[in-house]
Amino acid sequence: MSTLVNPLDEPSRDRQSPAPRLDSLEGKTLALLDISKPRGKEFLDRVEQILKERYGVAEIVRESKPTYTKPAPGALLQRLAFVDGVIEALAD
Amino acid sequence: MLAPGDPAPDFSLARLDGTHWRIEEETAEGPLLLTFIETDCPTCRLTVPYLKRLAEALGPSGHRVVAVSQDGDPETRELVEAYEVNFPVLLDVDLHASRSYDPPSVPALFLVGQGGKIEFSEVGFHKGDLNSAAEKMLSGLGLPVRIVADPDDGAPSMKPGCTSRHLESVGASEAVDSAAAAEPVESAWAVGSADALPEPIDLRPERAPRASRFTLAEDEDPYEHCMSAGFSPFLPVVPPTAERVDAFLAAIPHSPDRVVGLVPPCYGSATVEKIAANAVMAGCKPEHMEALIPVVRAACDERFNLHGVQATTHAATPLIMLSGPSAARLGFASGAGVFGNVARANSSVGRALQLVMANLGGALPGEIDMSALGNPGRFSYCVAENHEESPWEPLHVELGFGQDESTVTLFAAGGLTEVSEHTARTGAGVLRTIAATLSMVWSWRQCGRVDAVVVLCPEHAETLSSDGFGKSDARDFLFEHTGVPLRAFDHEGTEGTQLRDSYEEVLMHGEPHYRKFKDPSQIRIIVAGGTAGKFSAVLGGWLAGAEGSQMVTYPVKW
Repeated sequence: MSTLVNPLDEPSRDRQSPAPRLDSLEGKTLALLDISKPRGKEFLDRVEQILKERYGVAEIVRESKPTYTKPAPGALLQRLAFVDGVIEALAD
Repeated sequence: MLAPGDPAPDFSLARLDGTHWRIEEETAEGPLLLTFIETDCPTCRLTVPYLKRLAEALGPSGHRVVAVSQDGDPETRELVEAYEVNFPVLLDVDLHASRSYDPPSVPALFLVGQGGKIEFSEVGFHKGDLNSAAEKMLSGLGLPVRIVADPDDGAPSMKPGCTSRHLESVGASEAVDSAAAAEPVESAWAVGSADALPEPIDLRPERAPRASRFTLAEDEDPYEHCMSAGFSPFLPVVPPTAERVDAFLAAIPHSPDRVVGLVPPCYGSATVEKIAANAVMAGCKPEHMEALIPVVRAACDERFNLHGVQATTHAATPLIMLSGPSAARLGFASGAGVFGNVARANSSVGRALQLVMANLGGALPGEIDMSALGNPGRFSYCVAENHEESPWEPLHVELGFGQDESTVTLFAAGGLTEVSEHTARTGAGVLRTIAATLSMVWSWRQCGRVDAVVVLCPEHAETLSSDGFGKSDARDFLFEHTGVPLRAFDHEGTEGTQLRDSYEEVLMHGEPHYRKFKDPSQIRIIVAGGTAGKFSAVLGGWLAGAEGSQMVTYPVKW
């Protein structure tokens, strides 16, 4: 009979549920978060156009991470806290 | 900015609870450490836990640590609650106190002596300054002096801060002055969503709960349990029994609940006990913890950016390089076969780091670890420098440590490419061959944001030394002779081609080239391996520099 020491992380924080999903994009304010990979701007320009023209998105907020290699700074996430949804976008 | 010797201007500000606080009344009774902060400044947030530690050490005089927030009530309250701040925080809403002390940036520390004279002032995060301020406060109050900023706790020794609010553009400071009422983004955050926020993570915890222990059923195989429970789903391990882990803890002069670092990308707490459990699984001996603990510190150092290294689709993983006398003392091999199965210390310490990264950092292959190909180094990637066969100063001395000290250095390395050069009789000949391999690091046409470690075998090092090359000469030669010829850029759309405008064009070997590296410091040289065989190696890095992963070194000590 062996007693083992748990080598895994045992977080004390409660699990968080994901934010509720949107039923529709119509009239919503969305953020496009550019993770700053090459040509992200061109890609997201087109995504913005499609979201507005085809899906009736009311407003698009654009933000960029300083670098794709690290998590977004807290202040940036706070600036996005008021939108209905965020699309975080890769490029390359 | 006010300097030592200046009288500390009097001011009165509201605390978060609405009561008023006046500096003149406080300094009449004893010294004060006044720190101006902004709530969204990462350096200020890095500083707060150290101020907490000082307040704790001051005991009943803990209220002599005081922060002056340059932000409004909601933002300041959020920070105070998130960090469980245990000292007074004042609101400098109209920034009049900030203007009179006039720091160029925050955090700005002012140690004000009893009687109201500034004894010390500094901006930014500096562990040395925090410790000397703590020493002055504690000894001034007749309390035992204590280090509040451990040089080896994984945080950088210094970090610059952000521009002080009173020097920001008028428009910006007006927005702050009006408590962000007119700013929809800020107000939505402050009013609408404060309740919905998840509990912020304490970025610098000192202690974390002990690991849970559980007893297996009599007929359960502990080896199979470790695999099925996800302790190491891909390779069998030594079961971390309570007896084995306790033997490790008995050999370590640290409390089991001490947090060595938070392991990115999921930031699990690497306590001494959790590291020991993973070290047992990897096959370490208790004495290996002396090297493994600083290895974990280095991996959690923000400069190393383990978050990016673990999440990238590239194959990079931490290569551990030991340098100094402790390597041999602890049984690390540095000679023949150094990158292979050559010594228990190399294999098990390298593997222990990988287990810590997976089990406490949470990056599992195909989930957060998205490497396209992976890397055999993800089983274990740990070498020691061969000092006996090196004609040059070792890595740790090159990096500024003493000859008798020892270090662990982490470099985010991809695979190893061997370079055979058995016929060159000159140092330049050897280096030209290595430079050709270096030019292929990352990708043929990618220049600038790349770095590499060159592992010279003893025979090549000897050829170079006999030919008059010092270590820095060899590095400079490699820098000067590593390039990609312009004729290689013959296919639009290929990687690196789009960045040509940022490359430096030089004449190399009589032909126009782009320089592969921006600076000689992007090439690091160590000497390792056996004395027979003229095989050196190049290990390309991940993205170089502050936006990628920087090589990080920590001393080997308890």
